Amino acid sequence: MSKEKSVKPASGDKRTIGITRANEHSLAALVAAGGFGSELDAAKFAMAHAIEQGTEVGTIEGTNTKWNIGTVDADASLRALIESFYGAVAEPYRLIEYLINDGLRLLDSGDVPPNVIKLIPAAKLKRVEETADGTAD
Amino acid sequence: MLRLTRLRLTNFGPFKGEQSIDFPQEDGVTIIYGENMRGKTSLLNAIRFAFFGRILGRGRRDTALHKVGNWEEAAENKVFGFEVGLDMTHAGARYRLVRTFKPRPGVTEPKDDGDYVQDYFLERDGVVLSRGQSKTELERILPEQIARFFLFDGELLQEYEDLLVAESDMGPKISDAIERILGMPVLTNTRDSLTAAKERAENRHARAAQGDQKTREFGNQLAALQSERTVLQTDLERQEKDLDGLRTRKTGLEEAMRKMQRVMALFDKRDVLESDIKTLKEAVAGKKERLGGSMASAWCALLGDKMRAAITDLRARETQLQTVLIRTSVLASLAADGQTTCPACLQPVSDEARQHVQDSLAQHGGAAGADEQREVTAVRRRIAALEQFIGDANPQALRLEWDSIAQDERQIYAKGNEIKEIDAQIADVNEEAVRRTRSDLESVIKQISLLEQGLGKTREALHNNAVYRDNLQRKLDKFAGSGFEVERRRRDLAADLEALFVRGIDVFREQLRRKVEADATAHFLQLTSEPDYAGLRINDSYGLTIIHKDGSDIPVRSAGAEHIVALSLVGALQNNAPLRGPIIVDSPFGRLDATHTDKTVAALPSMAEQVVVLVYEDELAPARARAGLKGHLKAEWTLVRRSARHTELKPRKD
Repeated sequence: MSKEKSVKPASGDKRTIGITRANEHSLAALVAAGGFGSELDAAKFAMAHAIEQGTEVGTIEGTNTKWNIGTVDADASLRALIESFYGAVAEPYRLIEYLINDGLRLLDSGDVPPNVIKLIPAAKLKRVEETADGTAD
Repeated sequence: MLRLTRLRLTNFGPFKGEQSIDFPQEDGVTIIYGENMRGKTSLLNAIRFAFFGRILGRGRRDTALHKVGNWEEAAENKVFGFEVGLDMTHAGARYRLVRTFKPRPGVTEPKDDGDYVQDYFLERDGVVLSRGQSKTELERILPEQIARFFLFDGELLQEYEDLLVAESDMGPKISDAIERILGMPVLTNTRDSLTAAKERAENRHARAAQGDQKTREFGNQLAALQSERTVLQTDLERQEKDLDGLRTRKTGLEEAMRKMQRVMALFDKRDVLESDIKTLKEAVAGKKERLGGSMASAWCALLGDKMRAAITDLRARETQLQTVLIRTSVLASLAADGQTTCPACLQPVSDEARQHVQDSLAQHGGAAGADEQREVTAVRRRIAALEQFIGDANPQALRLEWDSIAQDERQIYAKGNEIKEIDAQIADVNEEAVRRTRSDLESVIKQISLLEQGLGKTREALHNNAVYRDNLQRKLDKFAGSGFEVERRRRDLAADLEALFVRGIDVFREQLRRKVEADATAHFLQLTSEPDYAGLRINDSYGLTIIHKDGSDIPVRSAGAEHIVALSLVGALQNNAPLRGPIIVDSPFGRLDATHTDKTVAALPSMAEQVVVLVYEDELAPARARAGLKGHLKAEWTLVRRSARHTELKPRKD
């Protein structure tokens, strides 16, 4: 699919990126609601949502591996993006993993902001349906 | 002359229990008033049931008899079935006809017609007739084929328009019924007998020719042709019978289709909606697949503003770093040995100043600007990455894709709701039966077409057969004085008699048509309120066209005019028929305005000696009827409501 190259992470940085068990359902729901072609596209969307919502630098434990970083960021442009927003972090891929998981958590738990609804109209419908079912938070 | 004297009903339709109506013995009109759903049509059907054991529903189709018994009596007392008794006089004899429809022995909760048994008996002058005699008598008193001219309603009157349509299926049947009531079968049956006699004589003639050596070959050929004729005639009769059956079936199916028209339209609409939904779903699936590709860069759109702001900051940083790097480059030039002027301002540089620069550069280990160079490279890499991501972001295009999908999904939802509404409307409809009716009709139309082609071929073969036979017979006729001369004369006599009757029928039919036309015109002019109408013109099928006083045809006529023309025809047929009987008519004024109603009421006594009219009061008010009929009005009855399922027959007293 993507041009997978051997991206060299900083020593100690992650070579794979994963999703926590708690976020698995959230990722699947996002893929369905957003009509994404792949889980990775949806994960990047979650990452962008976390960045946009001002998530600070952090790390997450207990993830199940999903992708190799060569798949996630073949040309290291994602790392460049992270460095643009967070400066020259020591472990950008660990941060990317954290941002993906935090974004999924935010999308699953909070009100969906208008900028997300503009891009994924079904996200709003999903909230409405859940409220109607009494399954909303 | 058939005259009804009494009708007795037991649990027939809304007529709960045993009830009866007595008809006056003198000539004139009886009016039975009843509002809608009180049982006027049931009375007409009761008479139909008594005579023929059948009941016609809407669309002239047989009604399931098990539904005709009184519901209240069945619900309250578990009494099922019904009985109709009809007292009448005909040709000087008194008749009593009783027909029953009762549950079979042992059946306590009958469900359908199969759980019932129908029986009847006919008494003549107090003597019960055998089943065979009863059948013959009933056929003589009122043949079912002509009942339409005695027992009718608006729906039946409407069918007479088919007589004007040459290719209609109903027209030939009605024409046949008209000829029946006019007594034509007496002549046509005689003609058919003479045709059979002629054919027998032809066969004998052929056999005689076979017995003579000189004519044996011709005789053999003639006998073979006669055998072929017999086969062809049998085929023709079978094909005509099949065609008649198919046409009857087609008429029934067309009527059923007319009744199902609304339902069929709903089915068609649902089919279209389901097809639309399928197409839309396929479109949505395709759009979603394309959307999957587009959504790969959706995250870029989410960070668009933030990335643009970051690029601004990064460009500022890049500028700062570039300034530092230029400055470092200038300083390096200044520090170079032998450099006496400043490369920037071109002013002389003192040795002291150069030394100061060299010392300063040495403090960075001889690599001044290296950090800035690395950083500017990183900054440029980030700017390039962000610009690429911003370029990938296309929120407007995504929006359009989502909108297009949403629009399709809204249509799917709306069409789905329409289907639900249609399903609710046709919940009680047997869809398979409706679709089967349509396919049956298509199939019957195809069969009719094929059979008509087959009939054409059989007729052509019969014609050719007749030509060959004529040729052979002419050749045989040249052998005068031979031993089969007697048979030849016998054959010629039979042929002459047949020809005489064929011609006689044509003449008689033409005379009858002229009489019917004249009488129908007389009735019509009495009934119509339009002074510009001069009369009616009859066609070969007894269809009647209104003629304007300038001699032209009136090509299109209203339902009311149709009614008047049909009543005129019925009156004319009554005038010219050897078989006379009562007219019992259900709601004949429904389509007529006040003037035509008055004229029709006034004309009723002249149409038949006994007339029974079933009306609702808005159609014909009692005062209007009394004024119009005067002394011709012999009795008035009312259908009185006791409950939705219980009507009582009462003489009208007001």
